[in-house]
Amino acid sequence: MTGAVKRFRVMALTAGVMSLLLWFVDLPVAYLFNNEDWKSKVAWIPFVHGWVYAVYLLTALQFSVKARWELRRVIWLALAGTLPIASFIAERKIVKTYS
Amino acid sequence: MKTRAIIKKFLQGLLVLTLVLVLVGLGKWQLDRAAIVKESNAAAKVVDPKIYTLEELATATLPLDSRNVNKQVSVSGFYVANFRAPLQQDADGTVSDWEVALLQVDRSDPLSGILVVRGLWEDRLTNPEVAMSTKISLVGTLQPRQYDDRADNEPGVISRLDSSVIVGLVDLQLYDGFIAAKSESTRDGELERERVVPLTPVSRIAGYYWQHISYVAIWWLMAAIVLYLPFYRRRIAS
Repeated sequence: MTGAVKRFRVMALTAGVMSLLLWFVDLPVAYLFNNEDWKSKVAWIPFVHGWVYAVYLLTALQFSVKARWELRRVIWLALAGTLPIASFIAERKIVKTYS
Repeated sequence: MKTRAIIKKFLQGLLVLTLVLVLVGLGKWQLDRAAIVKESNAAAKVVDPKIYTLEELATATLPLDSRNVNKQVSVSGFYVANFRAPLQQDADGTVSDWEVALLQVDRSDPLSGILVVRGLWEDRLTNPEVAMSTKISLVGTLQPRQYDDRADNEPGVISRLDSSVIVGLVDLQLYDGFIAAKSESTRDGELERERVVPLTPVSRIAGYYWQHISYVAIWWLMAAIVLYLPFYRRRIAS
């Protein structure tokens, strides 16, 4: 269980940071500013976010299975990785309960 | 009571199956987008020395295949209209107004046309011998249509290099995209003028190949999770 929590924590924090970058750096640059130079500089963000979220999903699923969470909480945990801050909240709650 | 339980199970199964199909479909959609990004980027970089006929690479009224972008084509016909395309950027980053002509493709049936970037607007009077009855043979690179307006559509002005903006003006079946002319000739010889090289075309789909592949992984992973959830639920219940 400790291993699953640790893995989830790492991925929740990473996914949270990547979500913040995606929502508040990449998306404004891509859709609000017409600057190709900026766009190419932030192009790595959605790419990294995509793969980080995929790994986050796996760790969230592994944790949920070990913690025997009910379905609704599993879905909530899976979606938390897509929203900024939500994965930080999930990480805090899980650490509080399971550490 | 038993029938009700069976119906409930059946509906749950149907819901799971629908969700899985939707998620797999979304993954497939992203996979197609990744393939388009890869193909258009490759097409923009590869220099194919072969000169194709326009008919080999494109068909009037049908979308231009991204694999044929940047390839060289030859076509002959008659210029039936002339437009100014303001604020166009060339490969060096220079912004200028371009002269764009609509070429009615010779011996096309039904009559079809394609936009041709001839050169700079300021050089439009360089070849006064070109009239509507002058048959032109040209070689140029096939380019995808533009999506962003550079100006307003006015008489004689096109807002972007896209045949859809002149659909109502001519009675021709139009090709998607345009040709950036590299050389033009009439029966009297080659027309000398400065040519413009458009910006390297980029894929109209935002993002990078591996980014779309990551979305494929996510959607299909979600599909697998949804498929697993009923078993998980049963496991938790027991």
